[in-house]
Amino acid sequence: MLVDEIKALRDTIITNIVLIGQVPAPTFKEKRRSSLFQERLAEFGVDEVTTDGYRNPIGIIRGTSPEKPPIFVGAHLDTFFERDIVHNYTIRENTITGPGILDNSLGVGVLVSLPIIFERLGLRFESDVVLAGTIQSIGKGNLRGTRHLLKTWPTPIRGAICLEGVELGRLNYFSDGMIRGEIVCRIPEEKGVMYKFTPNAILILNEVINEILNLRLSQRPRARIVIGKISGGANHGKIAYDATLGFEIRSDSYKMVRSIYNDLRDIVDGIGHENEAVLDMKTISNLKAARLKFNHPLVKSTAEVLKTLGIKPVSKSTESALSIFLSRKIPTVTLGITHGENSYTHNATMEIEPMFKGIAQIIGVLKAIDSGVCDEQ
Amino acid sequence: MNNSWLKENTFHYSEFGDLSRLVDEKQKKNLKISLCLPTLNEEKTIAKEIIIMKSELMSRFPLVDELVVIDSGSSDNTVAIARSFGADVYNANEILPDLEQFKGKGENLWKALYITTGDIIVYIDADIKNIHHRFAFGLIGPLLRFDKIKYVKAFYDRPISIGKNRIRPTGGGRVTELVIRPLFSLFFPELTQILQPLSGEYAGFREIFEKIPFPIGYGVETSMILDIYEKWGLEVIAQVDLDRRIHRNQDTKALGRMSFAILKTFINRQKNLGLGEFKSNLYDEIIQYNLVENEYQPDIFKIAGLERPPIIEIPEYCQKFKPNVN
Repeated sequence: MLVDEIKALRDTIITNIVLIGQVPAPTFKEKRRSSLFQERLAEFGVDEVTTDGYRNPIGIIRGTSPEKPPIFVGAHLDTFFERDIVHNYTIRENTITGPGILDNSLGVGVLVSLPIIFERLGLRFESDVVLAGTIQSIGKGNLRGTRHLLKTWPTPIRGAICLEGVELGRLNYFSDGMIRGEIVCRIPEEKGVMYKFTPNAILILNEVINEILNLRLSQRPRARIVIGKISGGANHGKIAYDATLGFEIRSDSYKMVRSIYNDLRDIVDGIGHENEAVLDMKTISNLKAARLKFNHPLVKSTAEVLKTLGIKPVSKSTESALSIFLSRKIPTVTLGITHGENSYTHNATMEIEPMFKGIAQIIGVLKAIDSGVCDEQ
Repeated sequence: MNNSWLKENTFHYSEFGDLSRLVDEKQKKNLKISLCLPTLNEEKTIAKEIIIMKSELMSRFPLVDELVVIDSGSSDNTVAIARSFGADVYNANEILPDLEQFKGKGENLWKALYITTGDIIVYIDADIKNIHHRFAFGLIGPLLRFDKIKYVKAFYDRPISIGKNRIRPTGGGRVTELVIRPLFSLFFPELTQILQPLSGEYAGFREIFEKIPFPIGYGVETSMILDIYEKWGLEVIAQVDLDRRIHRNQDTKALGRMSFAILKTFINRQKNLGLGEFKSNLYDEIIQYNLVENEYQPDIFKIAGLERPPIIEIPEYCQKFKPNVN
């Protein structure tokens, strides 16, 4: 019934997803998408539409009990795709395809659709509902938008929901400690003239990778290192003068993350010294571990909402805005809206039909927070 | 040359962004508005256009009263997709089936006059990659707000798609600059104020469209401007900046064929427009050359430049709409 009511707004919800998604918003360049976000909220009659001091666009739907703290619903505005990439979305009978749709144009499109969905369903909340499109989340953005928004928000916050495009069923309520970094190797060019055997930046990074793989990682607290990105060199037949390795260290103990980071620094210093190469390691972003307990009323209620809708909850750690909320002691969950594939390609594709259940779960969780599941902790 | 038209009849779509006001104007004037999307193999873009237009200009603001897709016989899923998203879809050949059948955008636009019931008809290409409802309300705005305006054309920035996934910030408009603008400058300098005479998006009152002929193919945009200008003058025309439209990049030979059709349309009107004497028996083929195995071989395309007469001359139309022939 609820799902059908939401489905009746299909065209407008899809329109929001497409209009938002077709405006490129690479990290640090979210201004146009932010303007559109505000424009749409204003068109939908949201009581207050503004930006915070860091230019995160927000809309506030006033609640019926001004004394209750607000509930936040957030989605990050930025995507991985640069401005000159064609951001054209293709709608087929049950899918929408286009760059950035799953991370996170879908989340933002649904976020701006909430006011008209509430209106259609005749929903009023006791708390103000703050719809926040946060900027500078991904990569070097290091969740600055969310950090600033929460740091400067003047009142306590009752609870929050973070929206991500996929996967429907995700119920994130804890986040690992994390350090994301880059190791850059550069071979000074004059060395090529002096030495018969020029050091190769890619091979030096290969040495670094081998040493990382030799590290014995703790099982408790569990820890792991993800080597997620590598680039370097100029062409097939030329010694590589530069190479970059992107990594992430994760653990449910931030102390453990720091300890592994120091191990990596020793590896980098040692290999750099042995090869007479310039080998730098720098941190791009970091997060402290934070969590709700699995028996927190918000977690239990959210799981119940999902089950009622026939969605199987799956809980994993997430390194996202969730951890910023949790580190400020704001009970928060992250939810996925639908199913999708090819997340980080130009052909990222979302399924339309499951989205309506995904939206219904957001409303269910909002109602739970509004009824007080976050209030007694 | 007096360019006062450019100043007075050029608008930006944002001037008409208050959709409630447009709906009020429409209701006050008791007008009905039809939106027509001509299609041929547009399965990648058609659903998006239908959904956005329906959501924003039909459900949220009742500005558009009907949305029709006139298809030229797509071989992909255009028709099924358009139907599944709630558009009224017609096969051009099934409209006025007793007439000789032709295939082309102009044919679809002309037949849309018979199928639709609106007092204002909005024509929007179905291949717009960055579709937004401004493409429709921007064109409707001047027609509702200014009584003298009867026909509105779009203009925009023209980034073009290059390769699969990238766009180049400026480009396109070659046929306009190399063919149309020199022609207008030679014969009707005041028409050069129309910044993108070949834009595929325009809207106007039925009473205008029904009284002008429609070339079957590429020439339709040119003919509309020339015929409306000749019958009612430049003052009834307006142009609206729609901001940005991403185009497909076409190769030079395709543009050559387009130019040929446009020139034919222009020359077909030599008498009405008082252009002087041109050769009366023009050829119907454009001849282009390709180098094949060290030999230049002609590549001949027939472009007859056929035109539908003003639809007001078609008995079935008169029976259905009973138009005022004056």
